[in-house]
Amino acid sequence: MDTLLDIRDLDVAFRTYGYRAHVLKNVSLSIPEGGRVALIGETGSGKSVTAKSILGTLPGNAHVEGGSILFEGRDVLQLAEAERDRMKGTAFSVIMQDPLSSFNPVFRIGRHLDDVMRFADMRLGERSSPAERQKRIYEVLRKVQLSDPERVFSAYPAQLSGGMRQRVLIALALLHQPKLLIADEPGTALDVTTQDEIMKLINRLVAENGLSLLMITHNLGVVRQMADDIYVMRHGEIVEHGPLRQLFTSPREAYTRELVDAIPPLYGPKVVDQPAVEGETIIALEGVSKTFSERRLIGRGSEHVAVKDVDLAIRKGEIFGLAGESGSGKTTVARMIMGLIAPSAGAITVDGATMAGTGRSDAFRHLTQIVYQNPGTSLNPKRTVGQTLSVPLTFAGLERARFDARIAELLRHVDLPAHYVSKYPHELSGGQKQRVAIARALAANPKIIVLDEPTSALDVSVQKNVIALLQRLRDELGLTYLFISHDLSLMRNFCSRIAVMLRGELVEEGEPKAVFAEPAHAYTRALIAAVPVMGDEEEQMKPSVSAEERKRFLVDAVA
Amino acid sequence: MTVPAMPQPEALSTRYMAWYRFTRNPAAVIGAVMVATVILAAIFAPLIAPYPDHVGAVVDFRNRHSAPDLAHLLGTDKVGRDILSRVVFGFRVSLLLVVGVLGVAVPVGAALGLAAGYFSGLTERIITGFTNVMLAIPPLVMALAIGNVLEPNLVNAMLAITLLWWTWHARLVYRVSKSIAAEDFIEAARLAGASHWHILTREILPNCISVISVKTTLDAAFVILFGATLSFLGLGVKPPTPDLGSMVADGRQFLPEMWWEVLAPGFAIFYATLGFNLLGDGLRDMFDVEA
Repeated sequence: MDTLLDIRDLDVAFRTYGYRAHVLKNVSLSIPEGGRVALIGETGSGKSVTAKSILGTLPGNAHVEGGSILFEGRDVLQLAEAERDRMKGTAFSVIMQDPLSSFNPVFRIGRHLDDVMRFADMRLGERSSPAERQKRIYEVLRKVQLSDPERVFSAYPAQLSGGMRQRVLIALALLHQPKLLIADEPGTALDVTTQDEIMKLINRLVAENGLSLLMITHNLGVVRQMADDIYVMRHGEIVEHGPLRQLFTSPREAYTRELVDAIPPLYGPKVVDQPAVEGETIIALEGVSKTFSERRLIGRGSEHVAVKDVDLAIRKGEIFGLAGESGSGKTTVARMIMGLIAPSAGAITVDGATMAGTGRSDAFRHLTQIVYQNPGTSLNPKRTVGQTLSVPLTFAGLERARFDARIAELLRHVDLPAHYVSKYPHELSGGQKQRVAIARALAANPKIIVLDEPTSALDVSVQKNVIALLQRLRDELGLTYLFISHDLSLMRNFCSRIAVMLRGELVEEGEPKAVFAEPAHAYTRALIAAVPVMGDEEEQMKPSVSAEERKRFLVDAVA
Repeated sequence: MTVPAMPQPEALSTRYMAWYRFTRNPAAVIGAVMVATVILAAIFAPLIAPYPDHVGAVVDFRNRHSAPDLAHLLGTDKVGRDILSRVVFGFRVSLLLVVGVLGVAVPVGAALGLAAGYFSGLTERIITGFTNVMLAIPPLVMALAIGNVLEPNLVNAMLAITLLWWTWHARLVYRVSKSIAAEDFIEAARLAGASHWHILTREILPNCISVISVKTTLDAAFVILFGATLSFLGLGVKPPTPDLGSMVADGRQFLPEMWWEVLAPGFAIFYATLGFNLLGDGLRDMFDVEA
């Protein structure tokens, strides 16, 4: 097999604020013709900078300090700008990662596609008529399994689902039959089931059209399905590379092993079973429903049923997992339990007290706290760690003289050094910020903590540590967790009981072991089957889903 | 060129990054220098002005309308007073107006904006509604009305400007406050039991400070300009107190022969206004905010 792309000793540095940040150090990487290569690494490891170097879209303050990028034997770094521009979209093109923000909302989908095609045609010196371009675009849309290209072509971005928009983004990359497709974390913003469909689609396109693929991701489960060769990147360096199987089964470097081990397994001997918890019921939901209604000035208002007739009992000391995709109502349930919104029907009892309305009494405040998904937005950027932690203490009625001791104790709980009290959030890493958020939740001595996808914004190795911390805190402080997530493999290992929600209804509930061994509901089966896993044995142990079932539950499934 | 290697990214403080951005922006530095000269001139006016007594009702008919020379660097006016001295003292009046107007308008506007953005519902509707009504009043008409009802002097000119100026700050802070109020950390503070007062002053306000300071700097330029307009129309400072606007008005009748009588105060207005505008733009880039 010939080499299509060959990066040799690439050195890239950024100049910011009078300093030089060396972001790529001697990066060498080669992609064979028709080969699928994955570049994996954590946040800030330089994966995206590598992709941008290939595409020639580095920001102005980046300098290529050495090395070469050979595409079919020609060094693209030496080419004139016009020539390099011509390669964009035809030699290589990129699938963008965020289907939600990559479109201009005021233009129709067709306009987005047509613009790209028209300008690429112009650069190539080809003339094309709008009608002819439209025909070509329909063809490409059909290729990405959008069965109704006419409708998609004339739709506005907001009228398409996330999965469909991701498909359009793929179509955008395929317009001019590039030789190399670069996929930068495709589908990470989407639900697992949709992501699974997108992965399958990219795989098929690559195979059918003989493309080469450079996959950039942090999700090792995805890598297994999508790549033959793997490069592991850390701090701007390639630490290890090799064929997929070798890297996953016998990694040479400690870092690679760490990455592989950090992935929670779905099936197999490595799975951890959380012991079942016997205890009194601390949270009870009986026939709880929530309807959001919207009143309009003119015409009839609309109603949206977010939660429908949910019965739930969570025992003291449990880690109760609530799984479901976006829009399934899991966050609404959590907000009702926290007393932030009132249920439209049914009763919620928390620690013996039945909740009514949205009023959060003082006693209730000590009962439940929350850790948010994104530590970047859940800490006030203008307040130090100490100031953030002192808020719940003030209002919990602690004497001011004892604040320092309590804050030091909280920091000790979450394994942060005591001098972090004076740090601002931007001085902390994502994992450290999440620890501060956990400390804030602990400050008022709550009995229940709602964990709203607390690790989905973190790197896998960091996720592992945060989960271990949460587990330790539960054992030490006797907490009860309500864990909201869509990450089923994490829930399998972390939760003592899980429930699955679909369109506002609870469709399955039980201990993880039983649920994963024999999922009763077809949706649970579809959900589990879509989880990317690390090994072939695991893949085979997943429940099977018929095409018909898939169609029933997955909005974006191929019709 | 050797560039030092980046320390840990966390090690760069926000203050360092802001300062770096500011000092790499020549326009911002020039603006800061201009503003500094205006403020220093105003503070040390009695020391700088060659004829400090010319500020008052001094008449020196022997030297009236004399062109710029060594004795009077910027010439003299129709009663023989030194224009340079009067311009330097004119900065005092302009800055007094800025401090008086913005000292009241900014806190009031910011407080109303904060409250409107944080409390939804009736509070929000009343404040934004009232702000919009006030925005619809032309400032000059308001100043004329107040000048007619009360007497036209510096205090009333300030009052007229202040009555309308807070609206811009209310609007701006409202927008920022509303978006900050939707952040997770505000809900987290509420769940932790924080009072409304705590959330408004300790959680939201610090996030608005950069926007407010940029807007206030840019506003200083407009207040100077607007104050000069009022004095030009005879609604501002009473003679013989030197004011840049009334000096332009006085000199206007002797154009084009005695050009210095208009040009000197006119250029002083231009200089102060430009300085504050450049500084404000620089601060905007430094804080990286929209205002």
